[in-house]
This record gives sequence, structure tokens and C-alpha cells, in this order.
Amino acid sequence: MNVIETSDICKNYGDLKAVNNLNLSVSQGEVYGLLGPNGSGKTTAIKLLTGLILSTSGTATVLGHKIPSKSVLNDIGYMPQETAIYLDNTVHENILLFGEIYGLTRDQIAEREVELLDFVELSERRDSIASTLSGGMKHRLSLACAMIHRPKLLFLDEPTVGVDPELRATFWEYFEEMARDNITVLITTHYMDEASHCSRVGLMRSGQLIAEDEPERLKASTGTASLEDAFLALARRDVE
Amino acid sequence: MKIQRTLAFTKRALMQFRHDRRTLAFVLVMPLLMMLVFGYAFGGDPTGLDIAIVNLDTGVTTPIGTNISFAESIIDNLDDETYVLHYYDNREGAKADLQEAELWAVFYFPADFSTNLFASFAMNGTETSTIEVDIDDSNPNLAASIMQGLQEALMETQEDITTELGLPEDTPPISIQTTNEYGDTQDIEFIDYFAPGIVSYSIMMVTVMISIILFVGERREGTLQRLLVSPASETEIVVGYALAFGVIGLIQSVVILSAAILIFDVNIAGSIFLALFVVILLAIGHQGLGILLSSAANNELQAIQFIPLIVFPSVLLAGLFWPVESIPSFLQPLAYFIPLKYGIDAERSIMLRGWGIAEVWPEITILILFAILTLTASILLLKRRK
Repeated sequence: MNVIETSDICKNYGDLKAVNNLNLSVSQGEVYGLLGPNGSGKTTAIKLLTGLILSTSGTATVLGHKIPSKSVLNDIGYMPQETAIYLDNTVHENILLFGEIYGLTRDQIAEREVELLDFVELSERRDSIASTLSGGMKHRLSLACAMIHRPKLLFLDEPTVGVDPELRATFWEYFEEMARDNITVLITTHYMDEASHCSRVGLMRSGQLIAEDEPERLKASTGTASLEDAFLALARRDVE
Repeated sequence: MKIQRTLAFTKRALMQFRHDRRTLAFVLVMPLLMMLVFGYAFGGDPTGLDIAIVNLDTGVTTPIGTNISFAESIIDNLDDETYVLHYYDNREGAKADLQEAELWAVFYFPADFSTNLFASFAMNGTETSTIEVDIDDSNPNLAASIMQGLQEALMETQEDITTELGLPEDTPPISIQTTNEYGDTQDIEFIDYFAPGIVSYSIMMVTVMISIILFVGERREGTLQRLLVSPASETEIVVGYALAFGVIGLIQSVVILSAAILIFDVNIAGSIFLALFVVILLAIGHQGLGILLSSAANNELQAIQFIPLIVFPSVLLAGLFWPVESIPSFLQPLAYFIPLKYGIDAERSIMLRGWGIAEVWPEITILILFAILTLTASILLLKRRK
């Protein structure tokens, strides 16, 4: 069974078709990248899949639940485009809050906090106020908050925007490590080059999926050397 | 609704204040500052005060055969901007309405008022004419104005009489016998009247401001989106924050009331716990209002533009400085839609009149309904998906 399955899902804002007949199938343990320029509908797609917004038409199923569904929320993690952490609270207090939200006990939170802060390399900053962290550190804390409850599926909306190249590489290592733990990751990005880390990518343009495949096969099918060139070739073909 | 999750939000908000010293200072110092500034600086001339006239004076027949009522003259000389006169047949009925706080004072003229006055003026009699005044002294500023207005009317009437009857200038004045409804006016100063208003107003203002900004931040920083994709229900989020604001309101009130008692020697006649309960209700209701308003703002700058919209009607119409009765009649109905009015009324009744729950339940009920309304609307707002 696929972890994510959508059927002709659409989201219109007046005349604007933000997402237009999107059909996605993502299986367990995949790192699936939704790729496309700004405004192509990636974030709207994630908001539809998490139930933050309602579709105009079509359906979506996530972990076997028809969206929107309250029961799926315990099993998914979400990292929005914004840092989405409480800047006036400490690193520890942020972790504690999200742990309590997901119903973890104090002991479970304490154990998970050690693991996660080690994973995102923030152990030393446990008691720092989040606003004093660097941009990259805030992103890492945000990721840790999304993972506190060991979700089966992670939605990451542009997690590498504004992140320096070194940290971006670290992030992709995290995501690949999660996939090894059988966690499914749906990630949006407009950095075409970094999508080569994904097991599969879907290329979005004007709310539509114009192509979907493994990165190497996409490049091969378009006869291009990079995903960016592959996207441009496919976009041109789409226009024609 | 899970209590652990709800309290997680309460704890988070309180921790935020602990770390953010500047906001904490704002929360604690601003109300204190308002109390000091207003307490020392404010004064004003009230108008439109409801007064009962019980005029039993039968008048006096003068040697030339005309019947004169000195009580009528005094009543005619009462300033019609300061007073709104209500005529009663008996003192008991008027006093009952005074006790219900529907009147500020009762002016009672006995049947022999003119007879005695005429005797003392014209025939150097020993009888004294007395106006008996029953007064609600819970507002010392108003009580003083009422008495001053009456004195002016008396002097004017006395001047008329002395001129008309050709009496000497040193004719003994008409005496006024005052009965205070809530103690001795001398002991209640303007600050006593003002303190309950300032407590309510500060809590309202700080709560609305901070909750608007906090929730605009939640939306802008993406934390609200993250919460809405978590198992936390909208009810847990709203109630969790409401509890935090209730606690903050409580701490603020303790600070303000301590200052009022220690610096200004304010009297608290009723239960301080009931007074604090009213403050918590005010804080919770206004936190809900803050969430609702935050949904109409995209950033903090837009959010603070709501503040004057809340502040000015509250300051001018809710009875903070002057009673609702003294604002222009076309504006008066608006006052009843301002929840702060009920907070101020309840606090004054508790702190000055010593009233308990048996008397202030209507105001408390309105504040509870206001809190339920704004919190429910906030929850529905967060639940709304487009």
C-alpha cells in the first residue's frame, strides 16, 4: 500500500489553479522530492496532504486515511517553510512542548531529546533561547521538533531554503538516514541539483506534475546532464 | 481535550514571558505606571448624574398671602447639566433605588422645609430647615460634585430670598444633613474609585495587545501551521493559552492592587478573591478577542493598529473615568457592548461597596458569556479550513 496516494486532486484560488489534477503515489521508505520553481504548487500540495487546506476536487489518502483526517496526525511530522519554532523559548522547551503535544511521557521526551539534539548537533545549545541560534541551527531545531514522535511520514516544505551548502549536505544525509529507518519523506525544493538525493522526484509546473521518475532516469530520458536542464527540457515540451 | 497537552501550551506561553524580560516588564510595569499616572493626575467634571428628588415641602404662606416653596426654588436652581432629576413620592422608594445603584443621591425636602426656613429668615425663629441627602459615596469624586452642586443651588436660592425679602446678608444658611450609603465620604478618595477601573483596564489592554501579537507571530512564524498538523486540538491550543493569560492577569492584578493598597492606601471593602476572579474572567475573554483580531492582521504592525480601536471606546465609554450615565445619551447604548464596562462595574461594586456574588452576578455572568463567546469563536476560527 502506498503511503501517499492522490487522485486528480485540485486546489483553485478563484481562477488560479494552484494544484491541478495532481496524481501522486509515494511508497514507504521513499524520499520523494517535489521539484519546481516558486509558485509551481509544491507548498499547496503539501498543505493539501497535511489537511491544512481543503481540496477543490479530487481525493488524497495518507497512511491509509482519507484527508483531512485527525487520526493521521499522530503519525506524520511536518516542517513548514518558516522556521516554525518558538523563538522566545529555549531549545529544550521547544522539544518539550512538541513532545507533550504528541503525548510522550517525560521520560520518553528526555530520551528522545538526547537522541535528536545529538542528531541535529544541538546538544550544546539545549538551554539557549531559540532566537539566539543561527539560521541553520533554527532549521535543525525545527527538524528535530518535526521528528520528536518518530513519525512514519515526514512532510518537509523547502527545508533547505536559506541554509548554507554545508548544512544542506548534512540535511540530505539526515533524510537518507531516515529512509534507511523506513520513514517516508516528502520534500519540496526548488534547488534542482539537490533533488538528485531523492529516490524519486516529481517535477511540478503551474500546479501540474509534468514528469515523475528517479533522478537519473529523468536525466537520461531528456538527454540532459543535470536535473535543472531536465526540468527545462520537460517544461519546454509541456508548453509545446 | 487532553489536560497534559492543554497545559503544555500554558507552560510554553509562561516560559516565553520568563525569557522575554522586556515583555515581562511591560506586563508588570505598564499597569503599575498607569495606576500611578492616572491616580495622581486625573480629575474631571461629571455630568448627567441621576438624582432622586423627594419633595414633601408644602410651602409657606407669606404675610402678603402668596404661597412660596423654597424647595421648588432650590430644585429649579440645580444645574441641569450636572443632574438628571427623578421625582419620587417617598424617601423609602428612592433609597431602595439608591441601594440598587440606579441613583447617585436622594435629596429629601421635608414637609415643613419652607415653613421653618421662612420662620428662621423672616421672624428670626430657631427652627432649622434641613435638606436630607442620602448619597452613594462609592465614587468620592461624584459624591463631592453632587454636594458641591447642591451647595451652589442653595446659595443661589438663599441670595434670591435675601434680596427678595430684604433680609440681612448674614442670614444663617440652610443646613444639609448627609447620610452616606457606603461609609464616610471623607475616607474614600478619588483613587479608591479609580483603582478598580485601572485594574480592569490594564488587564484588558495588556491581554488584548499581547494575545494579538502572540497569535500574529504564531501565524507568521509557521508554528500555528505546525500545531494544526499535530494531534493538538484547536480547543487545547485556545484553552491552554487562555489559562496562561488568566495566570498573567492574576499576577498583574496582585501587583496593581498591592501598589494601590501600599502606595495609595486604597480600601477594599469586599472579597479580594472575588475581585481577582473578575480580573481572570476579563483576561480570558480578552485573550479570545485578541485571537480573533489577530486573524485579520498579517503582521505585528497591522496588529497594533487594532489597539486604538479597542483602547479608545473602552477608555471613553466603559465608565473608567466617568459613569456611563454622564456620556452623551446617543453613545450610551454602545457602552453596554463593551465587556470592560462590566469588569469595571463589578470591581467597583466589590472593592468599594463591598458587594458579593449575590449582587455582582449579572456582571460576572456577562463576563463568563463574553469569555465563552470569544473562546468558542477563536476555536472555530482555528478549525476553519479553506
